[in-house]
Amino acid sequence: MSEKYMIQIKNLTKIFGDGVEIKALDGVDLNIEQGEFLAIVGPSGSGKSTLLNQIGILDSPTDGTILLDGVDITEMSDKQRSITRNKQLGFIFQYHHLLPDFNALENVMMPLLISGVKRSEARKTASKVLEEVGLGDRMKHRPNQLSGGQNQRVAIARALVNKPSIVIGDEPTGNLDSKSSDTIYELLRKLNREHKQTFILVTHDERMAAKTDRIIRLVDGKISEDSHNGD
Amino acid sequence: MFELDVATRHIKSRRRQTLFSIIAVSLAVGIIIIFMSMMSGYTSILIDSTTENQAHITVMPKEGEDYIHLYHGLENHIHDLEGVEGVSSYFQGEAALQYKHNAEGVLLYGINPEDENRVVNRDKYMLAGEFASIENPGSRIILGFKLAKNLDVGIGDSVTAQIPGAEPTDFTITGIFQTGTPLDETMAFVNLGRLQDLYGSGDVITGMGIRMFDAYAAEELANGIDRETGYDAVSWIEQNAEILTLMETSESMVFFIYIIIFSISGFGIANVLIMIVMEKVGEIGMLMAMGTSRRSIMLIFLLEAAILGMMGVVVGCILGYAASAAIASIIIPVPPEMYFGMDHLPIVIEFKNFISASVFAMVINIIAGVFPARRASKMDPVEAIYSV
Repeated sequence: MSEKYMIQIKNLTKIFGDGVEIKALDGVDLNIEQGEFLAIVGPSGSGKSTLLNQIGILDSPTDGTILLDGVDITEMSDKQRSITRNKQLGFIFQYHHLLPDFNALENVMMPLLISGVKRSEARKTASKVLEEVGLGDRMKHRPNQLSGGQNQRVAIARALVNKPSIVIGDEPTGNLDSKSSDTIYELLRKLNREHKQTFILVTHDERMAAKTDRIIRLVDGKISEDSHNGD
Repeated sequence: MFELDVATRHIKSRRRQTLFSIIAVSLAVGIIIIFMSMMSGYTSILIDSTTENQAHITVMPKEGEDYIHLYHGLENHIHDLEGVEGVSSYFQGEAALQYKHNAEGVLLYGINPEDENRVVNRDKYMLAGEFASIENPGSRIILGFKLAKNLDVGIGDSVTAQIPGAEPTDFTITGIFQTGTPLDETMAFVNLGRLQDLYGSGDVITGMGIRMFDAYAAEELANGIDRETGYDAVSWIEQNAEILTLMETSESMVFFIYIIIFSISGFGIANVLIMIVMEKVGEIGMLMAMGTSRRSIMLIFLLEAAILGMMGVVVGCILGYAASAAIASIIIPVPPEMYFGMDHLPIVIEFKNFISASVFAMVINIIAGVFPARRASKMDPVEAIYSV
């Protein structure tokens, strides 16, 4: 059965601080299947972002294991972690974090260039993805020439351009008005259906969480609820 | 090579700081090139004037002896040695020259003008008269220009030479020379045979001057003559060892000044990079999330240091060249006796100086980039991303 899970988390624990210890994650067990569209919700300080950063290999756990596609990422070297982030993971943060000195197309090309793809090929792939997120006419614009929603769409295109198996979003609409939020949500949902990628979104927008397939509720670093919508 | 893209964009986004750090590097490189050109000029003028105005090798009597006897054979032998351009035997003695109430102590050199000209081009330094005028053993004398001035004499005047143990002898002045060295005040040439007669020494000499085709081969040949003949042969390098050592010492002192100047410009670069790193924390975090390795992050900032350094070096080389050429074209009149016969600031523009200044600057600039680059590469991606 281990074969069918995209992500397998066992007894994941993360403790912050050397003096006063804070248990951000407390023995989390979680299995996520490929193609799931899942929301992690919970009050602030419940460990949502911490869990997401562990799955995104941006941080290392204090204890426990995470298998990504069957490979234990907690055992990886720094270099392997970089490569895995590049090939298997796509990130969308609350703030778009686009490189301000590069235009939309160049920003989307960046993950491809990092992985060593040829420039001409990267340009082709990146413009296709930008068109897919509806920004075919904004490719030469820099982040400061685009609206918040548009920048977030560029960030989504950047997260998807390397065809990662898992897309991680930390409050991807947290910085947008409700109309833009809906557009972004619809876009993510569409991409999830078309590409069968696993989407894990952290949000405290219950309205948005309700539209996902599955909700993981975290309280004090523990999973308090794991419910499938429409069950 | 996305690292280069990111590096150049960072630099372009900070035009003003970039400009100032390039100015700092280019000034440092420019100043050092001027310094080096001056040092090269100074050294080459010093060596040129030394090797031109002096025999490359001087052969002196064996230890404990005053003269070289039977020198004709030795002269012929040395003349046939490889690399020897000319040999001149001389007899040197102290004397006092008197004209009316003026008297000056001098070193009298008895030489054969034709031979002597082959060792040191005396003709070149003649202010008046002919050096060849003392060709035949007559009572003719050639004086240094300062010496003539001190005695208040000119061509055609007659001076009396007082030589210990000999009758006072009159010499007619047939030439005056100026070398631009202190010798102008103390040196006088007469015919070799005439001086040997005056000293009553017989056909002997007190020394022999040798000119080589290659001045730098003098040391080796001098050692050879020394070993082979037992005479004391000294090269110009050995004779001027103190000056040459002094030059080397000053070069190593100047080297420290170079390091200090380059370090100051290096701090300029470090400063710009530290600012960029601080400003781009979130961006560095995102680059890491996208899979950029720590090595690549480090490379981005080292490239920035290298690009800034490179631009500074190019501008600095142009600046240094222009300034050196400008200084070299201005003739600053300095008294010729004072600085080894120079009459203007010596500047030699040498390609190797540009290379060493550039390489030196680049090394220090890249070292300056190491600290900010390491700082960027050691960032925790989570902290970096959420810091924005």
